[in-house]
Amino acid sequence: MGKLTIGCFSSLVGSMNLDFSVKLASAAIEKGHKVDFWVSGNGTMLSIKGQKAFKDYTHLEKTVKELMTKGLTATACEACAEARGYHKENTIEGFKRHSMDWYLASIFDADRVLHIGGE
Amino acid sequence: MATTKLGFIVQRPPYKSENPKLALTHAIASQSVEIYLNDGDMVTADLAFIGDGVLNCIKNQKAMENYGLTSTESHIKSTLMLDLSVFVCREDLDKFGLSEDDIVMDAEEFGAEVKVKVVPFSEINKMMEEVNHLLFF
Amino acid sequence: MKLAVFVSDYKNTVDTLDRLKAEKLGIIFVANGVYHATMKEDGNSSPLLKKSADFYALSEDLDTRGLGSKTDSSVKVINYSGLVDLIFNEYEKLVWL
Repeated sequence: MGKLTIGCFSSLVGSMNLDFSVKLASAAIEKGHKVDFWVSGNGTMLSIKGQKAFKDYTHLEKTVKELMTKGLTATACEACAEARGYHKENTIEGFKRHSMDWYLASIFDADRVLHIGGE
Repeated sequence: MATTKLGFIVQRPPYKSENPKLALTHAIASQSVEIYLNDGDMVTADLAFIGDGVLNCIKNQKAMENYGLTSTESHIKSTLMLDLSVFVCREDLDKFGLSEDDIVMDAEEFGAEVKVKVVPFSEINKMMEEVNHLLFF
Repeated sequence: MKLAVFVSDYKNTVDTLDRLKAEKLGIIFVANGVYHATMKEDGNSSPLLKKSADFYALSEDLDTRGLGSKTDSSVKVINYSGLVDLIFNEYEKLVWL
């Protein structure tokens, strides 16, 4: 089994890039792969707790929480989050916050890297 | 001891999108990644500006004066100070009628010895082949 | 290099893709990129389909857009599970456009 590192910099609502990333992460985990998930820029919106599940808006909090119980490591860029007013106390439990070098360290021993830029 | 080489490819103009700046700041983070790695292991970052991305490199940017933001130009100089390899696509500069006189080429004022390399796209393709992973911004 | 390029937009990714060189190239249509795999403009398929590459399209994104049965014959339809296998077994580097 391999390791996949996904970086996604797109907003939670709008582009559906995070929807794609989370579904890919889920499929990889189901097949036994290790998945690290990094969100930076507007992608840090994914790390915020209390997302309401309106059917007109992407809502991934529940899915991400379930994936974390299956081994997903999810980490948000701390500076990107703080710049947007997303503080530690608003972060989904288990969702980590680190500086950008965490992403590069995850890539260091990844077998595959999918980097999805933002808007 | 192992090295993982990354290629950061910037293809969008600055400011309207956060992408180019995040490419630069993430590339700069390659200098502090060792805290997560074993002794001797490292991550290197090469940067390439292609397509509309070469517009990031135009010098005399006044983002701080106008919006209170660190300019993309300053970030490029920071990468040079950290000895990262920075490539700019010659064909794309030509397309915009830009020359080396119009873009950031060095950070000598900060003591950087590394300079920007203006190269044909074939050289950037070569870099992309040599790295382990690609990150397009 | 063995390169898989994710094409996620319909219009504005063609220039960059044209310049990428790889000994083995896979083009994976996802999100609005799936229109390349399905739509014809003035009777012509997307110029991307003329490239020397293996083509794939994500079934979930085709179905989401009502395009499930309209895929060009040169394109293999895969689901997320198939996409994971493709990523790990067929290609070494991944690019998202």
